[in-house]
Amino acid sequence: MSELKDLENKTLYIIREAYAEFKRPAVLWSTGKDSTTMLWLCRKAFFGKIPFPVIHIDTGYKFKQMYEFRDRIAAEWGLDLVIARNEKAMKEGIGPKDGKFECCTKLKTQALMECLEKNGFDAFILAIRRDEHGIRAKERYFSPRDEDFRWNYKDQPLEMWDQYQSITEDKTHTRVHPILHWRELDVWEYVKQEKMPVNAMYFAKGGKRYRSLGCEPCTSTIDSDAKTIDEIVEELKVTKIAERSGRAQDKEKAFTMQKLRALGYM
Amino acid sequence: MKVSVVIVGHVDHGKSTLIGRLLYDSDSITEGRVEEIQKLAEEYKKRFEFAYFLDSFDDELKEERTIDTTGVMFKGEKNLYSITDVPGHKEFIKNMLTGASHAEVAVLVVAADEGIQEQTGRHAFLINMLDIKKLFVMVNKMDAVDYREEIFLDIRNKVAKLLTSFGYHDVVFIPGSALEGDNIYKPCERMGWYHGPTLIEALDSVELPPKEVKPLRFVVQDTYLVDSDKVIVGRVESGVLKKGAEVIFQPSGVTGKVEKITEFQGELEKAEMGDSVGIIVNKEVKRGDVCGLVEVPPMSTEEFLGEAVLLEKDLRKGDILELRCGTRRVKCEIREIKEKINSETGEVVERNPAEISENEAATILFATEPLVVEKFSEIPELGRFILVRGRNIGAGVVLEVSR
Repeated sequence: MSELKDLENKTLYIIREAYAEFKRPAVLWSTGKDSTTMLWLCRKAFFGKIPFPVIHIDTGYKFKQMYEFRDRIAAEWGLDLVIARNEKAMKEGIGPKDGKFECCTKLKTQALMECLEKNGFDAFILAIRRDEHGIRAKERYFSPRDEDFRWNYKDQPLEMWDQYQSITEDKTHTRVHPILHWRELDVWEYVKQEKMPVNAMYFAKGGKRYRSLGCEPCTSTIDSDAKTIDEIVEELKVTKIAERSGRAQDKEKAFTMQKLRALGYM
Repeated sequence: MKVSVVIVGHVDHGKSTLIGRLLYDSDSITEGRVEEIQKLAEEYKKRFEFAYFLDSFDDELKEERTIDTTGVMFKGEKNLYSITDVPGHKEFIKNMLTGASHAEVAVLVVAADEGIQEQTGRHAFLINMLDIKKLFVMVNKMDAVDYREEIFLDIRNKVAKLLTSFGYHDVVFIPGSALEGDNIYKPCERMGWYHGPTLIEALDSVELPPKEVKPLRFVVQDTYLVDSDKVIVGRVESGVLKKGAEVIFQPSGVTGKVEKITEFQGELEKAEMGDSVGIIVNKEVKRGDVCGLVEVPPMSTEEFLGEAVLLEKDLRKGDILELRCGTRRVKCEIREIKEKINSETGEVVERNPAEISENEAATILFATEPLVVEKFSEIPELGRFILVRGRNIGAGVVLEVSR
């Protein structure tokens, strides 16, 4: 299928550009379908062995099946897994009860920030896609962030002809988005084509399935009878339900996602 | 077929509204999204707008204008469309170029009640520079001029004249209203005098030209050690790369034979335009090198004439900055600014100026460290470059190469 080949070609090019341009990149892995696809593509880019760390941001609230999937795949693929946790906030018992904005910022964004400081990373490779959310549709492939992690979305770099801005003034790290141009349907068709492993939570049980995976308290199922990858592909061709409809932090208030992302959320 | 379309035009001529309308009429809006936007509009004391499907920054909603480019996709009857919205304001030209640079088709939106405005000309100039060959003009907001044919004809004549000067001939003009949904997806009864296609019919009729077979150009990104093999990774920008081919890398000047073309868990007999692959040549090459067949080799150069548009700050004769083409970064000097071009009209406004400013274009003679560039008209993938001074400040295309 040549469309998937085109998507893959561009993504491999971007991953290799990031590896050539940055001293210490890392890839983020939530264990969901998109970032697992990203790891798969990184393995392809480097002929099997990912030459940089794989970061899993652990909020302590992830589903049990996500931790199991993570540990199984990490061992199978020989990943250099780094687990990022905001231990202080976790000890203080921060949770969704404190507000989703607060909880996401402390347990995800700040955990990542600490991980960057500790390890000296200068680039994070992330599996966000334009079609997931209006605010992600505004992203660049290479997106610079300042020392406070802020995304200056009002002044993004010129990015054309696969020339990505990697040198930046006063910026501490760059977000790299190699599958920005993929759709949800493309990801599943690719999972199918590549016979990739995915978390079983995506498949329907009792008329419900997870369409997007996050933290247990803030992630809900959708009505679905799609029990196989083929059935998911068919479902996505006709669905009118938004992909992240089961993700509470997107919907708390208008522009919550923009505010979260401006502060450095993924 | 996947078709990439950019919607361009002056600020407030209805670009985002047009895309919102396309999404709405093609039934691509997810459940609850209309209600969500209605609620949002009430909260901000605004009228419901189709543009809010695209403008997802709060500042965009408050200021009622698009700040940055957005990409959305929808499935038409025939094609899968990747539609790019770009800002129509002068201060956001870099965002416009970012969005337009990968489009195959452009739709220039001109509001019927305003006609040609500053960015109408500039955007037409830029899409021509980007070599987007297929162009449609949507004369929007026909509802605001009572659907009068003479207004449409008047704008058509003026815009056609402007486009002819940029080399666009026989362009299809569509009168319509994104707000009312006239001639976007549905034909409009109130314009019985118009017998042409709706916008979606026009887009569905697009035939993309087959890719021409050109000389092989493979850009080198890196070299990895895989088991005991040195694998050169990169992308085929043009032509075909075959196993066994005798190749040369420039500007390194290294020659060798392609022993293997590899990808993860596999080997290939050949790689084509766009393919990201690894090759084994058993020679040392550098990131930034361009590989071609020995018979039709890429040439290294240290001087070329380009046409560039500057997006920020000033550029003076004698300035030293960085230039990027393919994966190569070199130092370059602005040896001579030959002609300053008004990016609104394409006209030469000054010969041999000492400097150019933001949003101006110019033909420039660049002196560089050795690199491979090609004429944009011959191998576009290696005929375009970015100017960098701390950040990406300009973009251009190669007109002539000095050998």
